[in-house]
Amino acid sequence: MSLAPLRGRVAFVFEEADFDVDQIVGVENIRLTDPDALAACAMRRFDPGFADKVAPGDVVVGAENFGYGHPHFAPMIGLRRLGVRAVIADSFATGYWREEIAEGFPQIACPGITGLVRRWDEIEIDWDAAEVRNLSRGGALPTAPYSTAERGMLQAGGLIPYLREKLAADGGG
Amino acid sequence: MGYTIAEKILGRTSRAGVPVPAGTEVEVKPDYVLGYDFPGYLDLIFKQMKEEFGIERVAEPERFALFIDHMVPANTPEEEELHIVTRTWCAENGVKLHEREGIGHQVAAEAGYAVPGGFVVHFDGHIAQLGAFGTLAIGIHTQLLEAFVRERIDFTVPETTRVNLTGTLSPGVMARDVFHHLVRVLGPRSCRFQVLELGGTALGAISLEGRQTITGLAMFTGALTAICNPDRLALDYAKAHVTQPFEPQASDADATYAAVHQVDLTDLAPIVVVPPNPAATADLADHAGLDVQAGYLGSCASGRLEDLRVAAAVLRGRRVAPGFQLHVVPTSQAIMAQAAREGLLETLIEAGAFVTSSSCDYCYGRIATMTAGQRAVSTGTLNVTGRMGSPDSEIYLCNAAAVAASALEGRIADPRPYLAGDGP
Repeated sequence: MSLAPLRGRVAFVFEEADFDVDQIVGVENIRLTDPDALAACAMRRFDPGFADKVAPGDVVVGAENFGYGHPHFAPMIGLRRLGVRAVIADSFATGYWREEIAEGFPQIACPGITGLVRRWDEIEIDWDAAEVRNLSRGGALPTAPYSTAERGMLQAGGLIPYLREKLAADGGG
Repeated sequence: MGYTIAEKILGRTSRAGVPVPAGTEVEVKPDYVLGYDFPGYLDLIFKQMKEEFGIERVAEPERFALFIDHMVPANTPEEEELHIVTRTWCAENGVKLHEREGIGHQVAAEAGYAVPGGFVVHFDGHIAQLGAFGTLAIGIHTQLLEAFVRERIDFTVPETTRVNLTGTLSPGVMARDVFHHLVRVLGPRSCRFQVLELGGTALGAISLEGRQTITGLAMFTGALTAICNPDRLALDYAKAHVTQPFEPQASDADATYAAVHQVDLTDLAPIVVVPPNPAATADLADHAGLDVQAGYLGSCASGRLEDLRVAAAVLRGRRVAPGFQLHVVPTSQAIMAQAAREGLLETLIEAGAFVTSSSCDYCYGRIATMTAGQRAVSTGTLNVTGRMGSPDSEIYLCNAAAVAASALEGRIADPRPYLAGDGP
């Protein structure tokens, strides 16, 4: 099994290093769990019209150490409901990365990505070549490799289906 | 070729049972699996075990220990019901439950889970503080589920950044300042996905409590965890608390590190961490005089005896500023009892502090909640927006002595004059 091809637009570039993702929905909303409610408040402080512009298959881009601080699940639940398919960043904060990979939400470490793309560029992730390509302006950059477990979680759709496969392989069903 | 302590511990718990170099993917068996109840944490794991995997009981209950330290005491029926779920699960599984003994990361050391050379997992990264005892303790977030449903978990052996601390800390400058200074010097991305290994001549002069403070906050350097090679102090503590035989591990002299830094502590002055960023380290002097209405001395990071002792030294014979809310919450009940024996609680109470039994709840604003426009000095773990209440309140992190001095003045204050006996 391999990862589904990913091609879409860069719906937003978070240029701030060490970006605190809770800002995407606002701290006052981080306890929400309903995806529709989170989609309704996501990105309002960055672009009030975001929900009307973003399309299924789009990605968002971050700078160095994206997800630093004390990240909650709420922001990415909101972004996924709006159709965002992946996050590509120069680098990721450790805790944020682990949480979102376990959710089965593609996080792609690609040093230099903030210099490669601008908002609304069309990009393509080539999983086999481990490369991000800018289809609008040209240029490509390599992506950092995944561990077997990380790739397994992304392919299976998250930690739980991945663990089901592992348990079956263990022979414990 | 030499190995780091992390490579040795993960190697020991891997299938091969021998040290493994950084970058190797291994399946490791944690010596202890820890967690606390909070909505969406343990209750979700219990549910997923049963409903997703059809597993009713953990295979080796003696490897598990759970804590009730958040929502203590409960203040809604739903919170108490969640605690009942945890109590019931522990009883059915034969798993040890530590309830109302204090903040779990501290209780874990007191209860003997901080085994030198041991490997511990939790979902919460502040468990890193067991590294003070030479234990590799990692917050693996939602992957903790794997430790409940399988004997082993997938793990990639991390690289290690080594920091050698040198010099001597001045009075009124504490482990808390050391950690935030490390973030200032190394940066919030310096140890991403790595182990932060602490050593050097100055580390030996820092108490075990201070090492718990520093290692427990490692996540703000980007690290997965932090660890110290256990010295006599750490091993003596372990011998007094760990019930089974153990094999301490230590890094080899020729171990391979991603980076090695020397950090001199000699001229370090008290620090504040400016909201809303846990990496926004500044000298306290640059923010002295800023009005504050609340102070929190407690948390898994601080709130131990040396913190209570220094606060009592600052507050002895003095009164907190009129209207100032000073909350003192010892990190565990054992620490609180010792503080009582030493007369510290009496000193703190007579100075106007509101002293309560151990709980995690002050750290995240569940109680002592701030409203818009309020500002706190705090030894809590975090200063992000809304952490202790309203998104329009602010938290300045600092050491315990600075919380006490600021409580006296009602503004951010340098504790050193009070400790030198010539307080204003």
